[in-house]
Amino acid sequence: MADGASRAGAEPLLSVRDLRKHYPITEGLLSREVGSTKAVDGVSFDVYPGETLGLVGESGCGKSTVAKSIVRLEEPTGGEVRFNGASRGETGAGGGDGPHPNDVTRFDRAELKSFRRDVQMVFQDPTSSFDPRMTVGSSVAEMLLVHGMTDGETRRAIVEDLLERVGLSASDYDRYPHEFSGGQKQRIALARALVLNPELVIADEPVSALDVSVQAKVLSLIDELQSAFGLSLLFISHDMSVIRRICDRVAVMYLGEIVEVGPVADVFADPQHPYTEALLSAVPRPDPRADPDRIELTGTVPDPADPPSGCRFHTRCHRVVQPEGVDVEQSAWRRVLDFRERLRDGDLEVDAGAADRTAASGGPSAAGVRAEFDLPERLGDERAERALEAAIERLVAGDEAAAIERLSEVFRTPCETTVPEWTDHGGGHGSACIRHRSAELSDDLEGIETD
Amino acid sequence: MTSEKPDRFDRVDWSAYEGSGGVDPSVNTVGAIGTTLPLVALFVYDRQFVGEREATFGAVGLEADWSGLEYLFAFTLILFVWYVLVPLYQNPRMTRYYWREFTRNRPAVVSLGWLLVVFVGGLLGPLVVSAPEQSVLAGHQPPVYLSIDTANVAQCLGEVRGGRCYGTWEYPLGTTRGGKGVFRSIVYGMRISVQIAFITTTIVATIGITFGTVSAYAGGWVDEAMMRFVDVVLSFPTLLMFLLILYIYGAGLGMFIVVFSLFAWGGTARYVRSKSLSVSEETYVSAARISGASTTRIVRRHVVPNTASSIVTQLTLLVPGFLLAEAQLAFLGLGDTSLPSWGQLIAAGRSDLGFAPWIVVAPGIVLFLTILAFNFLGDALLDALDPEAAAEVER
Repeated sequence: MADGASRAGAEPLLSVRDLRKHYPITEGLLSREVGSTKAVDGVSFDVYPGETLGLVGESGCGKSTVAKSIVRLEEPTGGEVRFNGASRGETGAGGGDGPHPNDVTRFDRAELKSFRRDVQMVFQDPTSSFDPRMTVGSSVAEMLLVHGMTDGETRRAIVEDLLERVGLSASDYDRYPHEFSGGQKQRIALARALVLNPELVIADEPVSALDVSVQAKVLSLIDELQSAFGLSLLFISHDMSVIRRICDRVAVMYLGEIVEVGPVADVFADPQHPYTEALLSAVPRPDPRADPDRIELTGTVPDPADPPSGCRFHTRCHRVVQPEGVDVEQSAWRRVLDFRERLRDGDLEVDAGAADRTAASGGPSAAGVRAEFDLPERLGDERAERALEAAIERLVAGDEAAAIERLSEVFRTPCETTVPEWTDHGGGHGSACIRHRSAELSDDLEGIETD
Repeated sequence: MTSEKPDRFDRVDWSAYEGSGGVDPSVNTVGAIGTTLPLVALFVYDRQFVGEREATFGAVGLEADWSGLEYLFAFTLILFVWYVLVPLYQNPRMTRYYWREFTRNRPAVVSLGWLLVVFVGGLLGPLVVSAPEQSVLAGHQPPVYLSIDTANVAQCLGEVRGGRCYGTWEYPLGTTRGGKGVFRSIVYGMRISVQIAFITTTIVATIGITFGTVSAYAGGWVDEAMMRFVDVVLSFPTLLMFLLILYIYGAGLGMFIVVFSLFAWGGTARYVRSKSLSVSEETYVSAARISGASTTRIVRRHVVPNTASSIVTQLTLLVPGFLLAEAQLAFLGLGDTSLPSWGQLIAAGRSDLGFAPWIVVAPGIVLFLTILAFNFLGDALLDALDPEAAAEVER
């Protein structure tokens, strides 16, 4: 498949620029807006003709919202989606001021309808993907009818041919969705996505609802169809092994933002963002001698209505940066930060029960608090240790506010104040982590934003 | 590879289809319109060229004189044929599947059989059986094999043995005080019941589905206003309204049907609204949307069919309510006494209950069986018409 070098000159088929989708949170009778859930918050990426771009991230990070916003099932709050398909003509990128002529978010009815022919989607749930009261054949053929093909026989011929191509038989045209298995339904869903002969197919977790053996078959089918018809694919998944199997490039998403983009080989061999590392460590490796260290992310996924400041991953990052002059063992540092976070959130029951159980003496003790929060007996760094000790003392004494204050003096990380910039690692591989900022002093921070 | 085949999805020249709207009227719509037009023509002819007191079909030698109700009934039958029966024929696989599911419920199959008898009897019975006629001399005849004291009959048409008059086959279910055959009256009552069932169902379904879908799709304050209106409709005292109308305009069957069905669609609209909301969240609706289908198309082709099949049950359970209401009003003497409905028959026999119970019992049993059959049928339809729910149970 296409490699980075041959794509360099080509115009991307789909360019997503700073895409945002915020869902308003309203309150009261008059639906006053009190905030918004930032499901997608400034996402940019490109899909080149013929390639497969994987979009990976855990549930709730906004992957599906990106897909829906691109096809305008949801109206994006901001940003641009440029589609440069053959039907859109060669307009080039430098169109001067004003909105880009190929900006999907500004398409009118007619443009949108022809765009629908060029970009199609495969959905996650094969069961609800088909109208239970229509034969699967007419569900697929409906696409053709909507676009003006009124001749029923032609429609039927096209759909029957296509059903055979996806591994079913022409006679399945008259069967109903409930007569098929999940894998077969996903094949029919592929047929439906292909029937308008699109240039780009967006597959939103197309195999995650299937058994592993069926997954493999559907993935091979996707591969086959892609090479047979020169499709471009935006493949959304939470499963790194599926991504490795099918994608050329991968974009890693965390909490509405893209944290790393690069060719699959590079990203898997040398992940640059700690979140990618964590995702990759969850992929089972066939080599038994390989380092079995799994990175377990601590903490929970933050609320996208109120994302963490600075780097959004800092609340869970295992490589969270220590400030100047502090040198604590990394895992201990993470745990102290978690301790501080929980103190701040106030979801502690330190005063009585929790610490009590570990401290046999009766009242909450310093050792009890340390055991409860999995803190080490001593921190390696003298200054840090003093601060932690003092904070725990105050906490045991019942003065939470003072404890927080004491902790915040030393246990600070630049990750929570600095928004990470995009760092290019060469070969189209880039990531957004502040650990790279000091390492890469070069000023050609040519992230994908600058194109 | 069948590369010679011209019909391949990647060989379609879409520019040739540019601008065509994708309108493809179904056979059903064409058929329904095609059969409604002659009906409309007949109606116009009846109103314009046939005298007030002349029979509609007088020109061809038939005595039938159609009222507005008959036209409405014929129209609902047309809709029933084109949008229920023909689709069942068009989708044999689905029909077989439903039928298999449906036949698991034995009482429901028997019920369907009984309802078919009522339906056919109501539709064709009046053509075969002549209308029951008053004949004072033939009053209070007992059903066949049963007998009555000769003191209670003016003239015994059958055998008289031991001072008791036995029934004859001329009046298999006996006669009323006025000498009307109970069997014939029941057959003519079937027609009334079928008319009530069909017309009310059509009115309720039409208003309910339209109102519910519009409300679900409009959203916002329109939705709010429409649903509050439904609350008003549901809490309206229909019976008082009917009594009021009865005192002002008199109470024909048409008035009964119109008044009761105009206040019965509230529940249906509510149900359709919630079902539409859940259907519009389904992935297949998203798939249709990104295919470029218009909202109208999605509503017509996906939302309405998927909600309609689940309100069939609700409508089936609504019909017995109407039949009972008609019977109750008739029994209370609030209906049109000239109407040969089951309720009127029961009402006519209540004074003679002591010695001629068949006048009440025969139509009573028929009414009871019909209502029971509707309830069984509704239950079985609920199970049969929901393939997803059924599939989930099997899993």
